[in-house]
Amino acid sequence: MPAATYTAKDIAVLEGLEPVRKRPGMYIGGTGKDGLHHLVWEVVDNAVDEAINGYASTIQVVLRSDGRTIVVSDNGRGIPVDLHPRLKIPALQVILTTLHAGGKFDNDSYITSGGLHGVGSSVVNALSERLVATVRRDGKEWQQRYRRGKARTELKGMGPARGSGTTIEFTPDVQIFGEYEFDPELIVERLEVSTFLNKGLRIFFKDQGTGKKVELRHDGGVIDYLEAIRTKAEATNTTERPFTLERTEAPRIDVALSWTDAPRERFHSFVNGIPTREGGTHEQGLKDAIVKAVRGYMDAADVSLPRGLKLTAEDIREGVFAICSLFHPDPQFQGQTKDKLNNPEARALVEGVVRSELEHWLLDNRTAADAILHRVVMAAKARQASRAATEQVRRKSAVNRRLNLPGKLADCSNSDPRVCELFIVEGDSAGGSAKQGRDRKTQAILPLRGKVLNAEQASLKKVLGNNELSDIVKALGCGIGADLKADRLRYGKVILLMDADSDGHHIATLLLTFFFRYLRPLIDAGHVYLAQPPLFRIESGKQTWWALDEGERDAIVRKLPPRAKPQISRFKGLGEMMPKTLYKTTLDPESRRLLRVTIPEGKQMETESVVSDLMGKDPAMRFKAITEWMSLVDEVDI
Amino acid sequence: MSAVSAPDVQPVALHEATRHRYLNYALSVITARALPDVRDGLKPVQRRILYAMFHNLGLRPEARYRKSAAVVGEVMAKYHPHGDSSIYEAMVRMAQPFSLRHPLVDGQGNFGSMDGDGAAAMRYTECKLRPLAVELLSEIKQRTVDYRPNYDGQHFEPVVLPAQFPQLLVNGTEGIAVGMATRIPPHNLVEIIDACIELIDDPQLGSAELCKHVRGPDFPTGGIILNEPGELQQLYETGSGPVRVQSRWHTEKASRRTLVVITEIPYAVNKATLVEKIGGLVADRKVPQILDVRDESTDVVRIVLEVRKAHDAAPAMAYLFKHTALQTNYHVNLTCLVPGNAQVPEPKRCNLREILRHWLDFRFETVRRRFVYELEKLRERIHILEALAIIFDELDEAIRIIRASEGKRDAAEQLMVRFGLDDVQADAILELRLYKLAKLEILSILEELEEKQAEADRIASILASDEELWSVVRTELLEIRKLYGEERRTVIGGDEAPSLDFDASAYIVSERAYVIVTRNGWIKRQASFTEVEKIRIREGDAIGWIARANTRRTITFFSSLGGAYVLRVDDVPATTGYGDPVQKHFAFSDGERIVGVAVHDPQGLPAIDDEQRRQANLREEPPPPYGVAVTRKGRILRFALAQHNDVSNKSGRRYAKPQGAGDAVVAVYVAAGSEEVSIASEQGRALTFPVLQANCLKGAGKGVTGMKLRPGDFVLAFELTTHRLQGATVTTNQGREEVVRPNKYRGSRAGRGKVVLKRDRFVSWAQPILRLDQLHAESDDDDDDQAGLPLDGSK
Repeated sequence: MPAATYTAKDIAVLEGLEPVRKRPGMYIGGTGKDGLHHLVWEVVDNAVDEAINGYASTIQVVLRSDGRTIVVSDNGRGIPVDLHPRLKIPALQVILTTLHAGGKFDNDSYITSGGLHGVGSSVVNALSERLVATVRRDGKEWQQRYRRGKARTELKGMGPARGSGTTIEFTPDVQIFGEYEFDPELIVERLEVSTFLNKGLRIFFKDQGTGKKVELRHDGGVIDYLEAIRTKAEATNTTERPFTLERTEAPRIDVALSWTDAPRERFHSFVNGIPTREGGTHEQGLKDAIVKAVRGYMDAADVSLPRGLKLTAEDIREGVFAICSLFHPDPQFQGQTKDKLNNPEARALVEGVVRSELEHWLLDNRTAADAILHRVVMAAKARQASRAATEQVRRKSAVNRRLNLPGKLADCSNSDPRVCELFIVEGDSAGGSAKQGRDRKTQAILPLRGKVLNAEQASLKKVLGNNELSDIVKALGCGIGADLKADRLRYGKVILLMDADSDGHHIATLLLTFFFRYLRPLIDAGHVYLAQPPLFRIESGKQTWWALDEGERDAIVRKLPPRAKPQISRFKGLGEMMPKTLYKTTLDPESRRLLRVTIPEGKQMETESVVSDLMGKDPAMRFKAITEWMSLVDEVDI
Repeated sequence: MSAVSAPDVQPVALHEATRHRYLNYALSVITARALPDVRDGLKPVQRRILYAMFHNLGLRPEARYRKSAAVVGEVMAKYHPHGDSSIYEAMVRMAQPFSLRHPLVDGQGNFGSMDGDGAAAMRYTECKLRPLAVELLSEIKQRTVDYRPNYDGQHFEPVVLPAQFPQLLVNGTEGIAVGMATRIPPHNLVEIIDACIELIDDPQLGSAELCKHVRGPDFPTGGIILNEPGELQQLYETGSGPVRVQSRWHTEKASRRTLVVITEIPYAVNKATLVEKIGGLVADRKVPQILDVRDESTDVVRIVLEVRKAHDAAPAMAYLFKHTALQTNYHVNLTCLVPGNAQVPEPKRCNLREILRHWLDFRFETVRRRFVYELEKLRERIHILEALAIIFDELDEAIRIIRASEGKRDAAEQLMVRFGLDDVQADAILELRLYKLAKLEILSILEELEEKQAEADRIASILASDEELWSVVRTELLEIRKLYGEERRTVIGGDEAPSLDFDASAYIVSERAYVIVTRNGWIKRQASFTEVEKIRIREGDAIGWIARANTRRTITFFSSLGGAYVLRVDDVPATTGYGDPVQKHFAFSDGERIVGVAVHDPQGLPAIDDEQRRQANLREEPPPPYGVAVTRKGRILRFALAQHNDVSNKSGRRYAKPQGAGDAVVAVYVAAGSEEVSIASEQGRALTFPVLQANCLKGAGKGVTGMKLRPGDFVLAFELTTHRLQGATVTTNQGREEVVRPNKYRGSRAGRGKVVLKRDRFVSWAQPILRLDQLHAESDDDDDDQAGLPLDGSK
């Protein structure tokens, strides 16, 4: 090969590498630790490409004892050493000295490759103060040396050799990277990922500084990777085995995914063996596929959800650990660090492939599918519960608490719970009387409509969804059930004021049941009262009396003069009374009579059984209780 | 001005407050709202309506109609302190001829319909009592029943109405109380009265004997009761049980089609909803016999179903009886309030005898009290008549005394002294009109006195004897029976209802369809397809089998784990989409796959001739076609296909038992018996042998050795072939294809096979799409005729 021609060509090529040294960041993302190690990845990925495409089985990576020199060798085909037809220099040299040169642009030699936009080897060369390329090919060994991207020697035959392969030894340039040392742990970690993604690939790593040797090989491939990640995260698998997919035809896709008990989803995605930390279209495709496959499965297998439960995509993916490795002939990356795949077709591609496979897998493995659905439903329920809790919190923390009070509440002007009273009144017609008759400083009125929900037979969710009961909870301001905070109670006395007829009694029992089941601390603290509206009005001459019961009525009548003919009328509803009368008889703290609801010592069990028998779901128990206690009833409505 | 109880806070235990209040509520609902009284058969609201209409508003049958609002207002104001709608609805029901067997209220205007339409608002409608209602009320003025104060103590209302017939059973009732409920069907007045009379005559009779008269409910809407007499008798003995009511229908001939006309539907069934439901079933093609549904009802029920042919009527009705409210179970629960020890009546579930007994005792008491009242009235009159008689004897003196008296009071006192009269008599004399002093009047007084005396004596003698009283009760009952008795409307016993056999297959539209099964186990049915390549399948899936069969036939899916799952072709989803995964229909285990498909339709089975049947007979085997399966471990099974003909349940049946983990069935095919088995193993061996060399199994088993395999070797491919140059096509890891054809690899069963490859392996098997639709030339035979043929070909 004539030197003049050689030199002339060479200069042109060298000019091509000059920008790499000027702006290394453009090619390797920076000159820090990441950029430095990027050189290793470039070279290793080239070797791995040989392996992926079936030409190499073993890769050796050696960190020399100086800590600054890396040797990467594979047993692949060896970089071609014959003359490039156009450039008339050895192909090896073309590859190492020309940007955008290599076997990876036409899709014949390599199907896919991880090399970064084909700049790989030449960039490494340009940024190394020393690089030695050794090629074994066709029974001979060849070698060429470079310095800062320029050939120091010609390609020399070194004599016969067995087998084939390529060895690249390089020392990054201190002029570029400053004082540096390679991090063997980082290298091992990265090498291991490569072996995970390339099932069966063997990589030996040797750190000559410490003499440490590691052999990396994972026959399970992405499944092993998934397991390793899962074990590290201390998550438990939902199913016995993960779902895996290996698409062998181009473009190759490897997926392993598993639902776990972890509270989050974790996706590790790769394109051509390079981690895409920010995901991208392929990862999005996988996410879509998971959601659609689970939905599709539920549809196909007629799986029914608990009533009222809706699944979101996040519910379905909660706890999913997934590895997604795509080998794409023409990856387009996005972002400063090229950590995100941007090929729009990748999304549909991955989704299409994974979705039908995953759906089929679910159908074929009902045990696994059932477990996964159980997991998903749990996630949805948890989400609903936490949303309810958040709303509760939000309500509590609102600036003006009064804004959250139910619209029907006629609140009192005082806000000191010690003196405030809440009257829960049956019906709007009675509520009207109570509102007009009350002491508006301390007495608040909350009218209810009709019969409230039976809390004994309903779930907490239903109770919270019930307008009347949730109005009570809102008005009380202290929360409900486990979240109850008695110190937030807005009223010192909660007084149930019902008509003195059978329906009023029924509503009173329904409310007592609700307080017993969901607001028990209020009863224990003595906050719950029953009002005692009068039953009778006795008029004689110009005088009027009110009586709470028959006994009192008779006592009043007896005291009248013998000739008097009193008019006795029975109150049916609170709405019958004039507001003033209602106040005087029932609301006025000076003259009213209240019953404070208590659960006496030693009567816990009896209380429990009375409530569950009378209000519970079993009609037989109710029938038994009614017949047993029937004789106790003193008065009955007509 | 007022005195109010002292301010006070008393503790009350939650359980006591709850129990006390709840029981008060429960008892109020039980005794004063939801349950009827056994004596007049009315709930309080009904009683109050009738009483107010009769007593307060005078709405007797001969009166003019009044606005319903007037009635509701009166009832609400004076007796029933509840919402107006509950009162109006109760009144409307009493006017509906389809709710009550004998309506009590005569309604004018829209009072609702069997289609569930509500009545017009109460400001529009008008009402009065029907004559029969008067029989519940007419004796009320004769102090026959007790009264009690109304809710505000301003008025009085009757505790119960003096019912002159057992209204509870005649009109029935429904109600849900607390802890209990009631559901009493209407009955025939004549039968009930006959039972009463029988019970008067022989008070010892039990419910069973009374059932001789009370044959069962008599719904105003007619229908047919299907219960056996014994069942009904038991129902009346226990007071509860189901009554199965069926609609009545007949067929009519229309110009080209047959019409099924439904003229009576079960009691308490909403006709509009029912017709809608039938329409839905017809629209969904669930009952192919029915072409159209029309509701031609006016005031009489007439639901018309158009059917194809006359003989389609019975299966169509059988389906509708099973799937719609055209046949309904009416659950009887004879709970009512019976007079108890205390003031308050008690709820009790009664049997027939108890109800009638309670009513008769009440009736007896009513009649007695009526006579007591009449007697009292008579005696009052006699008392006065007697005074008049005395006065007429001394008329002039009496007139003198009166004229000389100081005033009315003085005159009365003097008359009392002079003639020995009492207050009442003296008053009556002083109130006399002057014309009464005429000569003839004394005669009529004496006449009346005699008459009244005789009547009083008669009544006194009746009152003196229970027997006489019962006889009056009896006579009056017969009177009611004569006046109001009607023919039974509901027919008892299944004789009237032809028993219809329900055969699920009768509702399948008979048509031929392609069934497409994919390798991944998705199944669907299409009427046709243009090209195999254009059939829609899911990505990554491939078509495995295409068959053609009648929808009434069945299709069997053979699985890799030895399960045979059979579905009616009609149940394969008809769609041009992906269809259903087979797992939707059957409970496949994890990893279980379809490896064979067979349709039980001659079109999809190999032709079997008599000679083949004869040969099978000689081999003492069931006739072909057979199913043939080969497992991974080289076992072969042959079995009669006919045993997998019937639809299976979700878990399927077994046809093979693969041996342990790693074993599975490679494929299953249908064979006529002349085929050659073609097997290739993974390690490169190939073998063919005649299928009949594998013996025919009776049940599921592990089979016999088909190909003897070396350890670690498994069957890769298995096909049946009828041609010496054809067989399973496999590919080596070097990419070379090999056809396991009889002319090259012929051996015999349990052979090791010929070594095709020494170092290489067979890696894939080009499994062809099995075209079960191309076994025979397409025939135009009518499917319906073929559907009846036995599938195994034997006759």
